[in-house]
Amino acid sequence: MLFQISHTTSYIYEVGVTFCHNIATIKPKDMLGQKVVDYKLEISPTPTEFSEKLDFFGNTITRFSIQEQHKTLKVTALSKILRDHTLEPDIYKSESGPKITLIEALAALKTENRGHLDIKQFVLESILIANITKDIRAYAEVSFKPNRPIFEAAYELMERIFKDFEFNPNVTNVATPIHEVMVNKKGVCQDFAQIAIACIRSVGLPARYVSGYIETLPPPGKEKLVGTDASHAWFSIYIPSFGWVDFDPTNNQIPKDQHIVVAYGRDYYDVPPLKGVIYSSGANKMKVAVDIRPAV
Amino acid sequence: MPITTKPLFQDYFSDFKGYDEVLKPDMSINTEWKTLLNKFSEVGTENLLSKQDEINWLMEENGVTYNVYNDPHGLNRSWGLNVVPYVIHQTEWESTIEKGIKQRAELLNLILKDIYGKRELIKNGIVPEEVVLAHRGFLRQCDQIQYKTAKQLQIYSLDLARGPDGRMWVVSDRTQAPSGMGYALENRYALNRVVPDVFENINVKQPLAFFNDLKQMLIEAAPQNHSNPNIVILTPGPHNETYFEHSYLASFLGYPLVMGSDLVVRNGKLWLKTLKKLKQVDVVLRRVDDAFMDPLELREDSYLGVAGLLEVVREQQVAVVNPIGSGILDNSGLIPFMNAICKYFFKEPLILPQIASWWCGQKKEFDYVIEHLKDLVVKRIDRSNRENIYFCEFLDDNALKKLKDEIALAPYQFVAQEKISFSTAPNFVKGKLEPRKVSCRTFAIAKKDGYSVMPGGLVRVAADRKKIFVSNQRGGISKDFWIVSDAVQNPLRNYAWDSSSNNTISDINDLSSNTAENLFWSGRYLGRSLVTARYLRVVLNRMNQEQSTTRKSDSDTLILLFQSITNITSTFPGFVGEGAEARLKEPLKEILSLLKDETRIGSLAQTMNSFNNAYYSLRSLWSKDMWRVFDGIKKQWENFNGAKDFSINKLIKFLDRIITRLIAFMALIEESILVNQGLLLYFIGLQTEQSMMHVEKCRSLLVINYEEQVQYEVLEALLNSNESLNIYRYSYRSYLSVENVIKLLLVDKNYAKSLAYKITRIEKDICRLPYSEGSNTVAACKAKILRAHTKIESLTIEHLLTLNDDHTIRQNLDDALAKISELLHETSMEVSNTYFNHSYTQKQLTNQNFPLQ
Repeated sequence: MLFQISHTTSYIYEVGVTFCHNIATIKPKDMLGQKVVDYKLEISPTPTEFSEKLDFFGNTITRFSIQEQHKTLKVTALSKILRDHTLEPDIYKSESGPKITLIEALAALKTENRGHLDIKQFVLESILIANITKDIRAYAEVSFKPNRPIFEAAYELMERIFKDFEFNPNVTNVATPIHEVMVNKKGVCQDFAQIAIACIRSVGLPARYVSGYIETLPPPGKEKLVGTDASHAWFSIYIPSFGWVDFDPTNNQIPKDQHIVVAYGRDYYDVPPLKGVIYSSGANKMKVAVDIRPAV
Repeated sequence: MPITTKPLFQDYFSDFKGYDEVLKPDMSINTEWKTLLNKFSEVGTENLLSKQDEINWLMEENGVTYNVYNDPHGLNRSWGLNVVPYVIHQTEWESTIEKGIKQRAELLNLILKDIYGKRELIKNGIVPEEVVLAHRGFLRQCDQIQYKTAKQLQIYSLDLARGPDGRMWVVSDRTQAPSGMGYALENRYALNRVVPDVFENINVKQPLAFFNDLKQMLIEAAPQNHSNPNIVILTPGPHNETYFEHSYLASFLGYPLVMGSDLVVRNGKLWLKTLKKLKQVDVVLRRVDDAFMDPLELREDSYLGVAGLLEVVREQQVAVVNPIGSGILDNSGLIPFMNAICKYFFKEPLILPQIASWWCGQKKEFDYVIEHLKDLVVKRIDRSNRENIYFCEFLDDNALKKLKDEIALAPYQFVAQEKISFSTAPNFVKGKLEPRKVSCRTFAIAKKDGYSVMPGGLVRVAADRKKIFVSNQRGGISKDFWIVSDAVQNPLRNYAWDSSSNNTISDINDLSSNTAENLFWSGRYLGRSLVTARYLRVVLNRMNQEQSTTRKSDSDTLILLFQSITNITSTFPGFVGEGAEARLKEPLKEILSLLKDETRIGSLAQTMNSFNNAYYSLRSLWSKDMWRVFDGIKKQWENFNGAKDFSINKLIKFLDRIITRLIAFMALIEESILVNQGLLLYFIGLQTEQSMMHVEKCRSLLVINYEEQVQYEVLEALLNSNESLNIYRYSYRSYLSVENVIKLLLVDKNYAKSLAYKITRIEKDICRLPYSEGSNTVAACKAKILRAHTKIESLTIEHLLTLNDDHTIRQNLDDALAKISELLHETSMEVSNTYFNHSYTQKQLTNQNFPLQ
């Protein structure tokens, strides 16, 4: 599938901003099964400084600063992505991947990949997923049993979150603690992903946060509206002897071509799409519009 | 006579259980202590008591303070220094301790490089991943940053204590922004001044070469501009526990003391906002912790750092000392692996022994710790403050169980250490020597080919005889730390630096706009305090007189004066607005509130408080005399607040004292701070405030046309409040007339207290302020004050004296004063807008208040 994606974030400042420093984690990943055919970042007003670097997790980080007085900031990422999930390793075709049990996985993690930060760091607490409580662990242990394959358990965890949690964009924000989400069982994709990650880490397995986009399809017979899509997030679990497997608890599915990966992190904190420090005295209003459609 | 039988030592060994610095294991006296203690015995108890008093006095006089967090009385607590130093012989120092510090510094430097570089220690299994990854000081943002300096760890501080085997043991490493070297230096100066005779014939090594190395290191750290780099010291601000030291080092080293808001990142470089322009900064000696250094990439709620700084570091356009991210070394999780790391890098064992430690992330160690918990001290690997250290022997069963659960939940976050009893040293307490636990903080500075270690350091003493913990945060005492040599040492030189490395601020153009702002506001608050205090005093004096007479005119005048207080101090409703009648019946109550109520804007207490705040942040500019007078004012307030009797007479006496001190203080500012250091800003603030209040006074008292007796009394009060009555009598030798008072107080060009004179002076000062090319805002503040000047020049006495038709008020006078008042306010606003960067309030793009710890 070839997609064209546009992701626009605009800020309107009540009082002008004299200057600002920003960081965007917004460029889709170039990797097996996902090729960046074209990518362009449009920023208005034109930044004085601009740089692109890889961060600790291998994501592309864009830094920019604007030094002129401005009242609106508009950041648009335009990309063309060639997505073919069939190029990625398929867990269903793997011999050992779907079978490895929790006990086996924990043992394998001790010996396999010693000194491999890429996996180990995703077992440990992170900024937004810290002080994992007993109730989260209890929720995880319903699915994760010592002798049950962890793939099966992760699949069930995804299904349970899909079933037990209500999608509601009005109850949480980026700073809502996972413990609160766990109690209220309401939230958005990023809350669900983080709950799943907390559960998986609570039993000692590595799990990471995936930020990206998902193509939404219009109701049958209707034209798709521009800007109805949104940034999306899901989780990924590391299965020893196989590798990372993604799960989308918001849509109860294993991501395929409709999911476009932008960044990996320990949680949302590592990969916010756009953050910054502005110098201003007034309030601001933010608007995000994402549009994903098959490229023509 | 054996030393232990001397009176000073009475009871010293009475409940002696541990190891003492003075005694060898065979109970004989250590030679280096013998000489010293004999000297103290010669000095005698009485004398020592007075020497200790003198030290305490000196510390207070010099404003050596230490702030204690979460303690309302803790701000600027006096630093405690015991008259008895701590002594180590050069042989022991050089043969093991100094070598051990150097080895550990080199080792930690390599660990730091490795953790943010190749991570071989982890790859080769020398250090478990979690010790680094689960430590919140591991900043992924700092990964793979390259530095131009030979060493990555530029300043290192190590806490040592003497263990049961008589050797010095490692207690903890300090690597982010270690504090204490300034206090150590001040301790040495103080002791040298108070007991110079004790130093006689004892060869104490002096630390000045070490401070030269510090200076050299900072200069060489500059990635660019090697010949004359701009170096700043970054402080979290006056409320920080060691703020004294920040300002002390700033004035000692001659670098500007700045806060995060003084700095800005633009065009890939770090700049200091000065009055004239942005000035590039090459090196930041920081006293702000890692996580707070850059709100863009690190803690977004931090106002202590500079947004975008980390990227400037990455691009090698600025050096931060120590580098951001070095907090990963404040890591008790590394302790159990230090020997292996040392073997890995140096193929040699550690020189300084460490306390036996178990990292709970390993099964065997975890089991051991759980089983022996009661005998251990447990720490989190990334929290070194007292609140996160568990001395398990003191925990009850419940607390122990809770701790076990906590460890089990995330074992890799915990390290347990053997509890160990460190040595005591003699401390002079209430006329006797008493053994107290001590801990020594040592310091090392990176040089090209190694580390330079301060001979001695800072010794901290437990708060009482039984205490086993030593901590400043709990308000402990310190000792001077002597390394004694058999060879004669150079005497302690006074602050003397070779001029080649001296780059103190010499130009008002370089003054940071934050300092400028604080000076401006100091001037304004000080002016306001003085005018308010004097005016209240005049009214109180008047009240005193009234008590002895019953003339009607007196009480009429008083009511006028009460009302004028409210107008002048803008403390409405007061004697003017709603509820005024009730207040006029009990005027003393309202006046007392205007003196004492800190929450009331315009009160003397509130104004003085604001002045204190502005002034504390200027500390590096203070002279010792200024501190002394400042402290005197503070003490007067404390006494006043604690008093019970608030009679008119008491209040007058209190105001007399405050006014005298305020005037002394103002004189000291003028002689201690250079115009180039920003004295201009202070003057502009002071004169503007005084002029504005002067205008308010004249509007309140001169505009209305009173009957003769009242008029006389009002004029007398006005002149008195300005301390101008004598001048008036001298100049006019006449009965008080409105005409002459207006001449003297408003339009006389030669009288320093007249409005015309003050405005001319403000104008002159504003014209001396730096301005950058092409900036039209500067013109704005000049234009405003020029208009005020023109206005007052154009006034004629006849015009001002003209009464309106019903002969009740002088409308022209009021209009003219109102206009001038407005122009003065606008001038102040323009100065502020032009020079103080108010528009730059730092905010997050998206408000993400994450629950960070």
